[in-house]
Amino acid sequence: MGNGFNVSSTSENSCSGPRTSRVLYVSVPFHFILVRSVNINVQLVLNMTVAIANFQSSGVTCVLVVSNIDLTADVSIMKPSTFLESSTKGFTLNINNDYRYLKAGYYVSLHAEVLGNLVIPSSENIIDAHRTPILLLRASKAGISTLPYVVTGSVKQITSELEFPVVVFPVNPFMHNGFEVAKNRSALYRAMKSLSMNYKFAVCAQPLRGDMISFKSIFGKCELEEDLRTISQKIYDLFKIPICKLHVQRVEGKVYLCGLQPLKKEELLPSDAKLISKEISVISKQGETFIV
Amino acid sequence: MACFVEKYNFTDPREEKALQNFKSAAERLGHRFDFMFRENLSEIPKYDSVFIRATTDPLFTAYVVSKTAWELGLKVIDDPWSIKICGNKIHQYSLFKEHNVPHIPTIFLNKDKFHHRQLLRVFENFGKPVVVKAPYTSFSRYVEKVACETSFRDVAKRYFRKSDVLAVQKFMPTTFDWRVGVLGGEVLYVCKYMIPKGRWKHGAKLRGKPTVIWGRTVTMKKENAPTALKELALQACKVIGNGLYGVDIKEFNGDYVVVEVNDNPSIYAGYEDLRNKDLYGKIIEYLAD
Repeated sequence: MGNGFNVSSTSENSCSGPRTSRVLYVSVPFHFILVRSVNINVQLVLNMTVAIANFQSSGVTCVLVVSNIDLTADVSIMKPSTFLESSTKGFTLNINNDYRYLKAGYYVSLHAEVLGNLVIPSSENIIDAHRTPILLLRASKAGISTLPYVVTGSVKQITSELEFPVVVFPVNPFMHNGFEVAKNRSALYRAMKSLSMNYKFAVCAQPLRGDMISFKSIFGKCELEEDLRTISQKIYDLFKIPICKLHVQRVEGKVYLCGLQPLKKEELLPSDAKLISKEISVISKQGETFIV
Repeated sequence: MACFVEKYNFTDPREEKALQNFKSAAERLGHRFDFMFRENLSEIPKYDSVFIRATTDPLFTAYVVSKTAWELGLKVIDDPWSIKICGNKIHQYSLFKEHNVPHIPTIFLNKDKFHHRQLLRVFENFGKPVVVKAPYTSFSRYVEKVACETSFRDVAKRYFRKSDVLAVQKFMPTTFDWRVGVLGGEVLYVCKYMIPKGRWKHGAKLRGKPTVIWGRTVTMKKENAPTALKELALQACKVIGNGLYGVDIKEFNGDYVVVEVNDNPSIYAGYEDLRNKDLYGKIIEYLAD
């Protein structure tokens, strides 16, 4: 998976052998853990190492898939409401079309963390990825291209710092599809009023220099041009949100991240469900980057 | 130092006075202390530390401020994790359960599993009435007492609009709640939040009126507060983090139980600080450290 883990198998026919008879050895280079968790204290790193060791010893079938989407994967799938009442241990893969804060998708990750499970995605990443300013800040720190942004509650500040047209995202997570493009001052006032829920919340404004492109990203994958595939994978590597919609801008051939939003259930096509199932089988066979 | 505030922080003269006290304490200790509003967020990188006084919630601007400051390597009260845990009472109570912190008996209700039998079980376990709490509760809002299935369904329906999980708690009437202020694992102040006569929570609404009446605040020297109380407060904060918290504790039949831990505890001049005047300096020192 190119994630720094060397996965080897004891069985000779490693690719086709029945899953139950295989034992996985996951070796994790120590420097890799340190690099990925500079900001996490040492105790936590040790805990994670222990958790990885547990994952090894219990074999490959311990991936716990919690999903509200009908999937065809050959692994057993638990409903979010069932998982929230259980105390099942194990590496948890939380599949949901909507990971917003306070929604079931968020609580599944939270519950897994309280149980001490490793989980994708982590509840912290869920909050961060859905708050546009933090998404952009963390993405740019990780080397993903972003445009300058302004977080504010005032139209005046946007017009003084950015030139029209601008693209405005809400910094409130109650909206599914909330960005608006404003080409002039009056459009900006209108956008501001609706996105800030009558000035209760702030908004995040970015300059619009090219075309906005929105697309589905499933485990960081999308069937689009090369540059979109790259940015989608990079964002997945950073936040590990399995299912989301990405908003980007393409300016003079370069792609910039603008925002991330949840998908509506009806936006997920049968082909997407198939892709999700495929990815789940791959992860439950090979393991995944555990440091989240 | 930047102090992130919103306009409403200045509407109450006692709160405004407390903010001025923070400013003078900081200046006395040789720090610059600026109030930062929503419009000046781009100035965060200029500061060494950020003190958040505006109401915190992972959905509010305050979280963006906190996380941005932390990502930029600044010292920040309240830190993003405290906001995340205290802003969601479901998260908080599940940590208390996991770490065996004595707290009010609580169960979680799931939107998908909300039905008649479940409600009967709740009443069977906790008796009547029970307290229904939305995860984002603060300032005594979004906490309601229900005594029958109809009102239970009514309240739950409203709270389920925002959150898919709710907390239901045993009703434990007391005449006051203890409030223990904790900073960096040490008790900062202790007071009693009295509950208005005939009500059951600190901030209660008069029937049919929008105004909220608040109970009195009785402050005491922290040295004079019961040791068991202070120990429980510290134990509860330990599972959350190392920042500034206000722990609500009920004394029921001689036992102490945690009601909840709040980040961003309210500090009003002449109330929380009455017997512990040094609290401003202590918070500033903690930020500067």
